[in-house]
Amino acid sequence: MIEVENLYKKFGKHPVIQGISMTIPPSEICCLLGPSGSGKTTLIRLMIGVIVGDEGTVKIDDVNMPNLSMLGDIGFMPQNDALYDDLSAEDNLRFFGGLQQMKKAALEARMNDVLALVDLTAHRKKMVRDFSGGMKKRLSLAASILHSPKILFLDEPTVGIDPVLKRTIWNQFQELKHAGTTIIVSTHVMDEVTECDKAALIYNGRLIAYDAVTALLAETTSGKVEELFIMASEKEGARL
Amino acid sequence: MMDLAKRVIKQTVNDKRSIMMILVAPLLILTLVYFLLGDSNYKPTVGIEKGSLPEPLVTAMEEQHMHIKKLPSEAFDEPESYLKKHEAVDALFEMNDSSVSITLVESSTKGAKAMTAIQDALADVNPAAKMNISYVYGDADQTLFDSLGYVFLALFSFFLIFIISGMALVRERSGGTLERLLMTPIKRSEVILGYTLGYSVFAVVQAILIVLYAVYVLDLSSAGHIGWIFVMMVLLAIVAVSFGAMISVFARSELQVVQLIPFTIIPQVFFSGLIPLDLIPYHLGNLCYIMPIYYGAAAIKGIMVYGDGFAGIWMYLAGLLGFVLILFLINMQAMKKFRRL
Ligand SMILES: Nc1ncnc2c1ncn2[C@@H]1O[C@H](COP(=O)(O)OP(=O)(O)OP(=O)(O)O)[C@@H](O)[C@H]1O
Ligand SMILES: [Mg+2]
Repeated sequence: MIEVENLYKKFGKHPVIQGISMTIPPSEICCLLGPSGSGKTTLIRLMIGVIVGDEGTVKIDDVNMPNLSMLGDIGFMPQNDALYDDLSAEDNLRFFGGLQQMKKAALEARMNDVLALVDLTAHRKKMVRDFSGGMKKRLSLAASILHSPKILFLDEPTVGIDPVLKRTIWNQFQELKHAGTTIIVSTHVMDEVTECDKAALIYNGRLIAYDAVTALLAETTSGKVEELFIMASEKEGARL
Repeated sequence: MMDLAKRVIKQTVNDKRSIMMILVAPLLILTLVYFLLGDSNYKPTVGIEKGSLPEPLVTAMEEQHMHIKKLPSEAFDEPESYLKKHEAVDALFEMNDSSVSITLVESSTKGAKAMTAIQDALADVNPAAKMNISYVYGDADQTLFDSLGYVFLALFSFFLIFIISGMALVRERSGGTLERLLMTPIKRSEVILGYTLGYSVFAVVQAILIVLYAVYVLDLSSAGHIGWIFVMMVLLAIVAVSFGAMISVFARSELQVVQLIPFTIIPQVFFSGLIPLDLIPYHLGNLCYIMPIYYGAAAIKGIMVYGDGFAGIWMYLAGLLGFVLILFLINMQAMKKFRRL
């Protein structure tokens, strides 16, 4: 369970997160939806505690973030690839697994699994600097789920990944969810929203709608996610 | 911590340019310096007035290591303008009843060689003018390379490791991998120690390579035990890693690390022993105490020139350890910028 309360964050004078409160129940997939620059990445970084809000609190399983011992239960896939170019794919995984204090045998076994999942088994010995953009993205995803975290934060995980592999990866997310993982995923891609249980619409650093995806879609006339978005931003525009 | 150190090692080994920079570049530059500062065997050209000098002196001069050029007396009317026009002549030498006068083009190594050759010739003719010069440390045959070589040992171990580690850390920040690794339960102190340990491995290899090369291939003489030189070089490199880590907090890109070199490295070069510190005016020489290179260079000089052992260098050793400690504490604080825990 993730509880965000009255969160504010400014970068210099520029307010980026302006009073967000939300609760994400365990074993659900929650997507953060919003235009570019609306504050999705910043919200995720606040939730995991890499940055600290000016006001408000974030609690994960009743523990105030940031908290060092919680970090072992959290998986994080940043928006940029965040990999070491001068290491091979498997050495990247070995490094992050090691930092998560995984035992050697368990780590090697798990590496085989995640590499297969992101379809990189054939390239595991290749240097990351020789990877394509999509391959880096997949390896980055593999690194974030390696230690089987209880809570997974994914910042635009499927950008640059082909539809077939995207399908496989989403199936995996569903499986993880059924196994009890909470997943928070930011996205631009509307058809991914229907895969999620809840959706949070973020606009200008404010949470303008947060509900079950089915309930949100029921409000629209066309039943399409895009409409939801346009409606929400009009509502926000009227309020300003 | 060991994971991080191992990764740093693997990552650096996989990057050929870094390896070249740490291991090959110092040997290359050292060789270059060796030839530039080594005994050049330059034969100065000295102009004398035709027929004016006593014959025994001319013979004595011809026996010395110099070219003699006999010139018409007009050349000596205005020696400065003659030398300006004739670049091949390094000095004009004339003698009348009361005095000896020597005009040199400039006070350079060439001028100094001409002076020495003339003095030696004079001493041959008149043994009373002979000066006996002896040295407490080293001897007259030492080249500039012998007396300044130690400076380069200190500079390399600091500068190259500083650049490599500083850049790697900045890349880690801008590439987002720092954020990712700080999202694991690793402690801040482990991050810093892991880094230092990883680069120390290269520092050790580099120090061994440089010292062996300098002493056994380039014949740089060391009065003291070369084991102590290793110790000082490695310690200096550890300071360099910590220093690089600190700089990487202030730099957002690799280019900015380079832009900071005028503030971080160049002042240290002046205090590394290239200029004798007590010749620096306004007590500015005391600035050396805040420069890590000074401690390294002074100790290495002590070992190589004065033959110091632990008793002679322990203050410098303690100074560098102090730097390591202070920089560690600063870096622990600075890392809070990226994660509070
Ligand atoms: N470290 C930072 N310093 C200053 N401003 C920042 C910083 N990080 C983010 N911002 C600003 O905060 C705002 C929100 O950025 P954020 O990255 O959270 O958006 P986003 O919703 O993730 O966008 P995108 O969909 O393009 O990834 C932007 O205006 C950005 O300029
Ligand atoms: Mg973003």
